[in-house]
Amino acid sequence: MITVRNLSHSYSKDGKMAVNDISFEIERGETFGFLGPSGAGKSTTQGVLTGLLKLQKGEVTVAGYDLNKVRNERFNKIGVSFEQSNVYSKLTALENLKYFADLFDVPTRDPHELLALVGLEGREKDRAGSFSKGMKHRLTFARSMINRPELWFLDEPTTGLDPAIAATIKDIIKEEKAKGTTTFLTTHNMYIADELCDRVAFIIDGEIRLIDTPRNLKQRFGQKLIEVEYIADSRPVKETLKTIDDGDRRKLAGIVTSYDIVTMHSKEATLEEIFIQVTGRGLL
Amino acid sequence: MKMLSTYRKEMKIAMRGFYFYIEIFIAVVMLLILLVAIKENPDSKQREYVFYDARPEVVELLFAKYIDEGKIVPAADTEIVMKPASFAVKNRDTGSTVSYSFDSAKTIMARTMREIDVDDGRIKKTIFLLDTEEDVLRLSHSSGQVGAIVSLGDRGTFSYRYILQGYETERLTNLLYVYNARSVDVLEQEMDRQAVRELGSTERLNARESAVPALITFAGSLMGFFIVMSYLFLDKDQGVIRALAVTPATVWMYLLSKTMVIMTTVLISSSIVVIPVMGLKPNYLLFYPFLLATTFAFAAIGLLVASFFDSMSKSFGVLYLLMIAFMLPGFSYFIGSFDPVWLRFFPTYPILYVFKMIMLGKPDVPYVLTASAGFLVGGLAVLAIANEKFKKTLTV
Ligand SMILES: Nc1ncnc2c1ncn2[C@@H]1O[C@H](COP(=O)(O)OP(=O)(O)OP(=O)(O)O)[C@@H](O)[C@H]1O
Ligand SMILES: [Mg+2]
Repeated sequence: MITVRNLSHSYSKDGKMAVNDISFEIERGETFGFLGPSGAGKSTTQGVLTGLLKLQKGEVTVAGYDLNKVRNERFNKIGVSFEQSNVYSKLTALENLKYFADLFDVPTRDPHELLALVGLEGREKDRAGSFSKGMKHRLTFARSMINRPELWFLDEPTTGLDPAIAATIKDIIKEEKAKGTTTFLTTHNMYIADELCDRVAFIIDGEIRLIDTPRNLKQRFGQKLIEVEYIADSRPVKETLKTIDDGDRRKLAGIVTSYDIVTMHSKEATLEEIFIQVTGRGLL
Repeated sequence: MKMLSTYRKEMKIAMRGFYFYIEIFIAVVMLLILLVAIKENPDSKQREYVFYDARPEVVELLFAKYIDEGKIVPAADTEIVMKPASFAVKNRDTGSTVSYSFDSAKTIMARTMREIDVDDGRIKKTIFLLDTEEDVLRLSHSSGQVGAIVSLGDRGTFSYRYILQGYETERLTNLLYVYNARSVDVLEQEMDRQAVRELGSTERLNARESAVPALITFAGSLMGFFIVMSYLFLDKDQGVIRALAVTPATVWMYLLSKTMVIMTTVLISSSIVVIPVMGLKPNYLLFYPFLLATTFAFAAIGLLVASFFDSMSKSFGVLYLLMIAFMLPGFSYFIGSFDPVWLRFFPTYPILYVFKMIMLGKPDVPYVLTASAGFLVGGLAVLAIANEKFKKTLTV
């Protein structure tokens, strides 16, 4: 669905690259996570793929269209949800969706149904300007589905939303995935990525460090951890120990035989911990 | 279809914002000012110096009759100071010249009358009744106003002698001949023979009507230039341009729909002013195409300017300078003697004059059509540049 070969992008002429020679492919139906800290080049990459930024260098095809030849009709197959909501504040929720529906040449979804899907039923006739931040975000998100996109770009779809709404959005993404929609998901949030993505790419300083499935990543880099809480000198102590480390294993055995254990859990490494391990940096 | 729903959407947004109503409100206020505050024909500042070569009783009788009929209203006597002067007067009929020379200053109290237009009550001119023929000559010379010497002839008929400045239009001179002149003395003043701008057309637009071309140029096109920028920055603030950029709709269509909204607004606001004031006098078949073409061009300029900035406040300096520049030709329009050549390169200059031409109802049709086409093509070119500019400044 997307092929990217040696894509580079710079905002200035001084040779400072926002995105530097990246390559990857996304299969039809795949949910692809694009993970990286702030300023890594995630939005820049998405900008080039969605045509908001001009392709400067590299070979990119999106939904079967070569980006070196600009064709506006490709947007009939594409949906884009923005990190910052951008809706017409003077139009109602319904008018916003209806207007955008008119811009596509393909059959579109029923605006009422979409509004209900994101929990905005009953607010159809209210102007978007009167909406809360989260509601505007949901409207922006709903709008990205209006043309039943085959390829869906989501920039931070759940950031800043309350947990219940974030869960709804996550469910909608899963549903779309089940229908076969290809999704390019940009996020800081490793839990979302872990839960939704077939494959993730780690991007930092404009370069992709690795691409793999969350499962493989955990097998390759994750170690089982044991979190143990015990009483030493009448004070509670908490420690996290690696099961593959000999020293840690001996220490654990010592703790178990010498002290009173309060709690003991085994824990899987998170994508976040793997990210830190691979890139030497945190996600925020 | 996309264009239509984009236009409908833009109109909806415009009608939910306050700029639209401001434009309409301004148009209504302008209309009220024109209809209530500006008289169609304001009081004339024209003065006339007259000497009646007749017995005082006859003159009194004559004025009593005029005052009775409401044609003349007496006013307080006026103190007039005459400076020393020397000049020559040439009789047009005979060709003979008489020289005059007055060495001392003279102060008189002149009886003052105002001639009133019986139809609308405005003052047509102020008449000063002088005691001697020489005073008429002196004052007519120093003020550049018409002087008249009226003598009572044999069978109760009046004979008039007019003192003119020598640069009056042929039309006026002939008129005086035809109406009442037996002989007309023309005060030739070589040194005062300045070129007088022929405001041929102004003569036929009354004061109220001649304000209309300026109002539609400045409150229409220029306002559109300003408002289109504010609409655009509103969209930029909301980020909707980016949302549109990822649909099959084009930036071009988006910009075009903005200009159409401005054209609609200006169409409404201009009609509010033009139709009640001008009635059927203008050629509307030329007026509307020209109005729309110029408004389009100005909206395109507004969009181009907006493409260089990311907020209204940042664009303010440039916006302000452009507004002033576009208003400059207004000075030339209202002050006939101010008409430097460089001013003609300002787009509002031809607009003012074409509107005036159209308002008069006798426009030069090919010229107006060419000008309309010119503004349309120019507008399209400017919009095309703005389009390229916008495509580049869209960011993630
Ligand atoms: N409009 C712009 N002009 C100049 N530089 C920019 C612009 N947008 C981004 N950059 C630079 O490009 C680099 C990549 O930015 P980008 O927005 O792609 O990061 P990101 O991964 O999306 O970050 P975030 O998680 O904060 O959204 C950064 O160094 C940023 O400063
Ligand atoms: Mg970003």
